[in-house]
Amino acid sequence: MFGNFKRNLLGVSLAVAGIAAAGLNPMGVTSAQAQDTLERLKEQGYARIAIANEPPYTEVTAGGEVTGAAPEVARAVLKRLGVNEVVASVSEYGAMIPGLQAGRFDLVAAGLFIKPERCAAVIFSEPDLCDAEAFAVKKGNPLGLTTYEEVAAHESARIGAPGGGTEERLALEAGVPRDRVVVVPDGQSGIKMLQDGRLDVYALPTLSIGDLLKKADDPNLEMVTPIEGTPVYCAGAAFRKQDTALRNAYDEALAEMKESGEFQELVASFGFPGDAPNLTSREELCGGPN
Amino acid sequence: MEWDWQFVIESLPTLWQGVVVTIQATALGSVLALTVGLFLAIMCRSPNWFISQCSKWFIEFVRGTPLLVQLYFLFYILPDVGILLSPLVAGVIGLGLHYGTYTAEVYRAGIDNIPKGQWEAAKAVNLTKSQTWKEIIIPQAIPPMIPALANYIIAMFKETPLLSAITVLELMNQARSLSNFHYRYLEPMTMVGVFFLLISIPSVIFLRRLEQRYARPHH
Repeated sequence: MFGNFKRNLLGVSLAVAGIAAAGLNPMGVTSAQAQDTLERLKEQGYARIAIANEPPYTEVTAGGEVTGAAPEVARAVLKRLGVNEVVASVSEYGAMIPGLQAGRFDLVAAGLFIKPERCAAVIFSEPDLCDAEAFAVKKGNPLGLTTYEEVAAHESARIGAPGGGTEERLALEAGVPRDRVVVVPDGQSGIKMLQDGRLDVYALPTLSIGDLLKKADDPNLEMVTPIEGTPVYCAGAAFRKQDTALRNAYDEALAEMKESGEFQELVASFGFPGDAPNLTSREELCGGPN
Repeated sequence: MEWDWQFVIESLPTLWQGVVVTIQATALGSVLALTVGLFLAIMCRSPNWFISQCSKWFIEFVRGTPLLVQLYFLFYILPDVGILLSPLVAGVIGLGLHYGTYTAEVYRAGIDNIPKGQWEAAKAVNLTKSQTWKEIIIPQAIPPMIPALANYIIAMFKETPLLSAITVLELMNQARSLSNFHYRYLEPMTMVGVFFLLISIPSVIFLRRLEQRYARPHH
């Protein structure tokens, strides 16, 4: 029996080696295929996009319809490029970049903030949605928390943030210990955990907190914004590193939309400032060319 | 995609914290499951129709619903009626109750296997009900059950990643958080698999030993 077990173990290690070897060429994406990603998207008539479910950035309505500022901008830009449909998958923020790299999506249109560490992994379009950071807290902010540093310095305050989101990283980088940074699966859970006292702070961008608080309609909650020490972030659509041709075409179409005023009107309908993205650039946000 | 040993080494302390929580949840969950199961099995045999029906119904109910849904109930809905459990406690109760209904079935089978003569003999020498259970039935019934019970404990151990859904920072959640931070799944998820194997393979060997020692079909 023990010999049998040994043989099994050998089988397992061979299988693992096989998986590792297969992994060296993920999805068989080669540069030749990347060249004509846009052609492929046009041909199939749709692009696969990654979204979250965080209104007003991204939203899946009760009827299953995909909307929100980020997918709507992507939809309009792609239409200009001749890709008429988007097929969206809801994903955790942290899973978007690995999913993009693995070829599960053609682009991320979730309001992913353009940050240097993300620029190292993917390429971004020019910025489209800008927002400041915010905290949702109990009325009167009983623990008096207004910055990430204060959360870190407090002995027991727990902060909720989306997994892989900007706010999770801000909290960890400010020195909040891992066991006090609670990964919140979605906005409703975050508000519920705040109401139940599982969280002292729920951190998201200002417009998202505003949307959640409006929906929760709970007089015992309030918002702290902007959070001192955090800049106004701007998001963009994210693409695989080899898809520069697609990204450049996307940028051109986006610039046309900004020129014509169509862009400003579209994002304003979700509450986003139309001109703020033009005050910065991808290069500035990435801290270098991307 | 390349394997990054540096990243693996850097992430080991974080993953280890997750391993500790995973083992805690399994150990506490097992104690609860073994206890709850025993009580359920005894209650199912109660001469009181109400008690026996209630416990049978409870077992069917818990077995018939997914553990994940039960965890959401314990974590998100109980606070509405004023019961606020910490994530780990909610997780342990979820695992313990869920697997308790399975171990109850093991206990039931073990108890049913005690020959009727043992009950009659206990009665004949004037043992009380609780003496009969404590001194006669349970000591004979438990050894043959041990392998089956241990099997459920290993199964429970492998279910602990579900606790990540209710924000318990166990191994899977720590790995996800590492993946989220570094945009890499390969190393953290492989290490999760390795850690689970490192614990479950010795457990399986231990289980085989238990089987050889206790599960004697002809005794």
